[in-house]
Amino acid sequence: MSIVIKNLSYRYSEIGNPAYALQNISLTIEEGSFFGIIGHTGSGKTTLVQHLNGLIPSEAGCITVDGHDLSDKNERKIVRSLVGMVFQYPEYQLFAETVYEDIAFGPKNMKLSDEEIHSRVLHAMELVGLEPDRFREKSPFELSGGEKRRAALAGVLAMRPKYLVLDEPMAGLDPQGRKEILAILERLRSEDGCTILMISHSMEDIARHATQLLVLDHGTIAYLDTPQAVFSHAEELFRLGLSVPQMTVLAMLLRQKGYDVPSVSSDETPLLDWIKRRLSQAIPFCIDAILERKY
Amino acid sequence: MIQFDHVFYQYEESVQLALEDVSLSIEDGSFVAIVGHNGSGKSTLAKHINGLLLPAKGTVTVNGLDTADGANILPIRQTVGIVFQNPDNQIVTTIIEEDVAFGPENMGIPPEQIRERVDSALATVGMQDYAKHAIHQLSGGQKQRIAIAGMLALRPQILVMDEATAMLDPRGRQDLIETLKRLHAHGLTVIMVTQYMEEVTDCDRVIVMNHGKIAADDIPERIFSDHELLHACSLDVPEAIRLAEQLRKIGVPVSEHAMKTEQIAEELCRLL
Repeated sequence: MSIVIKNLSYRYSEIGNPAYALQNISLTIEEGSFFGIIGHTGSGKTTLVQHLNGLIPSEAGCITVDGHDLSDKNERKIVRSLVGMVFQYPEYQLFAETVYEDIAFGPKNMKLSDEEIHSRVLHAMELVGLEPDRFREKSPFELSGGEKRRAALAGVLAMRPKYLVLDEPMAGLDPQGRKEILAILERLRSEDGCTILMISHSMEDIARHATQLLVLDHGTIAYLDTPQAVFSHAEELFRLGLSVPQMTVLAMLLRQKGYDVPSVSSDETPLLDWIKRRLSQAIPFCIDAILERKY
Repeated sequence: MIQFDHVFYQYEESVQLALEDVSLSIEDGSFVAIVGHNGSGKSTLAKHINGLLLPAKGTVTVNGLDTADGANILPIRQTVGIVFQNPDNQIVTTIIEEDVAFGPENMGIPPEQIRERVDSALATVGMQDYAKHAIHQLSGGQKQRIAIAGMLALRPQILVMDEATAMLDPRGRQDLIETLKRLHAHGLTVIMVTQYMEEVTDCDRVIVMNHGKIAADDIPERIFSDHELLHACSLDVPEAIRLAEQLRKIGVPVSEHAMKTEQIAEELCRLL
């Protein structure tokens, strides 16, 4: 099962801006993957993911989710139950009087039984690390920034999506908050088999977590490959307004200075090994002393 | 010159103090970063600088003017510009150049000067080609650049960026930092409230907030080598510094001054 996008194009209809927001995109997102999406601002990342549950009707092209065609009105309902969307700054959409009510809103709209709703809300709260006893009766507005974000995420998780789409879920969070969100996503993927699609501007996070990586550039696909393969095109990524993990930058800089360094991507060991080896050759007489020094 | 003198602040709905006995001064021409976890009080502090929030106790002055005196608010806000995190909350019109012109128009700037200010502000953020475009067609990151241009068009003496880079892509962030450095070289005082530690290495001073108090106030090198402090305030280090630490672990003596990968590469080359 998978999400299949075929020849998808999208254009803002306004006169004076004939530019394509998306142009002839075809790709497949396999079930169980952690699908990362990067691209400069305005490259079409958000527009692309907003197509995935029919939020933007596709103008040209075809999208199917587990075989259900989004252009079909009846099928679209099924797709919306499969694809959960977490927008930018989702905490701005918190509205209910209590955290519990807010998270229960989605399942209630799915016309589930009260028991089912109750168990889903509690499960979602546990998943995102909001202890039910402590948080269920709190107002969403009493929560800290990181907690609000997780409450908003729980609201989507309570609908048990098979595909979870997140648009910059870590923007504005502190390092601790970012780590928590990433840990939740990894857990969802490994324990519940949830497929994760994540837009991010953090090359490090993407390099560490994504199994597949899409790079968008002005509405077209620049790369679609493993992060390892994508980040080996460091110069090109910089040209596209992006960046690469700092270890890759180091390898690139050393190469520019004429050193024959191994290429690095998500695995940093080859470069570190190379440096260790070079260092021991360059200064064999003092390497032991250096290794013993504490920093 | 910004001066905080024993400032306390508490949000109505909260039982904790958002600012607790904060005293500091920021000289003209500084480039300061304010960091801290979510809820540490860094944004609350920023909002005190132009009187958006007023101290419950203590005083805040800008160029000697007390923010608590209503008569001072207008001159203070002409001196201090703040750009916030979410651009959607800061944009007022539908066409880009109109939005950038909104502030200067309200200040009663003559039309020909407004034109010049709008053009140069848009060029500064790299959005000059979009002047006549509709704002709703822009991405989050592009909107943020417009919000920043709107503030630059007001030509403030002090610019406060309250997590204003959160929506930018890596180059957008890099370009903005370069722009701020350039404006800083021309005399602008820049205060960056940020979660991105990479941006902090460009500043000449870092104020670390923790639970409403100032936990540290020092140069970036010393902040990032104080592991206990970083841990206690749940702060990260820039990726380049993490890289330096990885290299130190395998025995490469990278110095504390190397806070950017370029500097690390240079030091490394001298050893290889």
